[in-house]
Amino acid sequence: MALNFTVQAECGITKARAGLMKLPHSDVRTPVFMPVGTQGTMKGLLPDQLLALDCEIILGNTYHLGNRPGTQVLEKAGGLHKFMGWNKALLTDSGGFQMVSLLKLAEITEEGVKFKSPYDGSEIMLTPEKSIEIQNCIGADIIMQLDDVVQTTFQDYDRIKEATERTSRWLDRCLKAHKRPEEQSIFPIVQGLLNSELRRKSAKDHMTKNVNGFAIGGLSGGEAKDDFWPMVSLGTEVLDRNRPRYLMGVGLAVDLVVCVALGVDMFDCVFPTRTARFGCALINKGQLNLRHKKYLTDLNPIDKDCACSTCQNYTRAYLHCIVSVETVACHLISVHNIAYQMRLMRTMRENIINGTFVQFVKAFMKEVYPDFNYPNWIINSLQSVGINILD
Amino acid sequence: MRFIIKNSSTGCERVGILTDFLKKTSAVIETPTAALLTQGGSVVHLTAEVLSKVCPNPHLLWVPLSNSVHLEHGLKAQGEGVAKFAGLQDHFTCATLQNMNETTPSGHFENDKVPLWTKHGKKMLTADRYMDLMEVFKPDIILAIADGRTSLAEGSKRIFKSIERTGNMLHVCVKRYKESKELQNSCLVGVVVGGGVPEKCDISIEHILKHKDVLGGVAISGLTDGSEEFSMDHLKSLTEIFKRVGDAIPKELLHVVEGCWNPAVILTAVECGWDLFDGSYAVKLTNLGHALTLNFDVTSDTNNPYLLDLNDEW
Repeated sequence: MALNFTVQAECGITKARAGLMKLPHSDVRTPVFMPVGTQGTMKGLLPDQLLALDCEIILGNTYHLGNRPGTQVLEKAGGLHKFMGWNKALLTDSGGFQMVSLLKLAEITEEGVKFKSPYDGSEIMLTPEKSIEIQNCIGADIIMQLDDVVQTTFQDYDRIKEATERTSRWLDRCLKAHKRPEEQSIFPIVQGLLNSELRRKSAKDHMTKNVNGFAIGGLSGGEAKDDFWPMVSLGTEVLDRNRPRYLMGVGLAVDLVVCVALGVDMFDCVFPTRTARFGCALINKGQLNLRHKKYLTDLNPIDKDCACSTCQNYTRAYLHCIVSVETVACHLISVHNIAYQMRLMRTMRENIINGTFVQFVKAFMKEVYPDFNYPNWIINSLQSVGINILD
Repeated sequence: MRFIIKNSSTGCERVGILTDFLKKTSAVIETPTAALLTQGGSVVHLTAEVLSKVCPNPHLLWVPLSNSVHLEHGLKAQGEGVAKFAGLQDHFTCATLQNMNETTPSGHFENDKVPLWTKHGKKMLTADRYMDLMEVFKPDIILAIADGRTSLAEGSKRIFKSIERTGNMLHVCVKRYKESKELQNSCLVGVVVGGGVPEKCDISIEHILKHKDVLGGVAISGLTDGSEEFSMDHLKSLTEIFKRVGDAIPKELLHVVEGCWNPAVILTAVECGWDLFDGSYAVKLTNLGHALTLNFDVTSDTNNPYLLDLNDEW
């Protein structure tokens, strides 16, 4: 079976749950954060280092991999796992998001996404069938349907409705085109942007399909947090309990804690590695901008409680000296930031299993907001699942 | 640190060890060896964790001040030297003025100062300031400050100035080294310059020999200003220089060659009895996307038989 998901423990108060997702290449403990290795490599980290950080699944981008090295090379190599030397689980996106976000000339029709190749200017059509063909070749454990992507803050109801309904039609085409259902699971993507009626219908449509898990898409695109969390909550409410729920593009620590409480199992985001490349290290209280002069002679590690190789070996003073100058600085901070995300997810999982998740959430929020000046969206979202952090 | 020759053949080439490092007396680095070039104290592109996978044993790190002088404040605050500060406490360090892999502007000299070309511009260094920095960096090996950015084709007047300035600065370095408590466990290496003009180079060697009882080694610089492309035509001249300088200096001293030299030159230098190289060639290739696939057959007729170009063909 391509995916077997078991809920191992549930928080008695919130919708949080700890699960085990058995995939062909690895068991994945949820809730899980999946670092993004865009082109078959995690920028600055070797696969061995990811393993040492307890990473069980990473994400690759179909659009980039399809362009370079391309399907011929990947096929010859025996799939992306072998090509990049990564034996644990992989998830690939459909390529649709990059088409729309990176390519100005993309045009979406019922057939697919039409765009001009950035390499030779020729017209290329990415159809649901083509996306699955590429993803079948890449060979990730979890693959995503091609969806009709609309900017999250877009307001035109007719266009949002069209995109949501088209996403459902494209799901059928993706499932029909799928050649490796025994090894790879297609996740449908719940769309509908910020319209709860459309989003509910999208989720319900997807529920009728023979799929092993679901993604909640179309969020984390610049919308207000007050608009964001109800859509996540709606998704986890409609999607059934026995299949994993993946919230796409979310990776800020506070967002992860809230969304786990709302019942999400899987997350991905480029943020931890991207912010590392700008010299920012993640800690519970937010971020340390290591470019700041105040770290010039600071001999502490980034986080004294962190066991990552960066915190065990390097001071803030040294990182300050090399940040934004040496490539090593990007690598070192990326290691720490991924270690931070892994530790946060592991801590949440342990607290769910131990029945102490609510206490963890309260303590975490108190550390992030020591003056108790909680944003409304956090108060409201947590209240919706039975946590009153103002207590 | 001590350099011990373990075995020498009937020719000039020899096998030796660097040992008795203060922080780990049992550590041994076999020679001939190439150091690992650092930038900002780190081995280029490699974190300490990744380096431990590539080189599990202690290695010699090449630390040019041109890319690491900005560590000074942090190093002072920490007080344990550049290897520890850069997270590489299991390795040993050799500090020098400039990364010979970099092209730098010519000129800009003053009587008792040489320019240090950094990312943040030019800094003029006296020998005293250089030794102040050495006391902060605490390297295991110190290459004395030198005016060594001259090419084989350099004019005679420039060579003469280079030798004079280097000799004067060596005098200051030796004096400071003898007086310094912090540097008693470091090894000071004198630098020969002016290799392109044999009779002038002999003067530089004389300067070095005056201090042979204090020095632990001799480095040869002044063979390139970093700007010219090396061609096989240079190999004959270089071979002569390696032999000439090698013959003139005491055998028991560590023989060091600075510069971004290809394997043919390195092997020639080893044949002439040189022990230690700066490792900048590997970094230059890495940054060009070239992989070394060295088979040690440098006499092969094919072009660049030891390089694999990993770049796309456009």
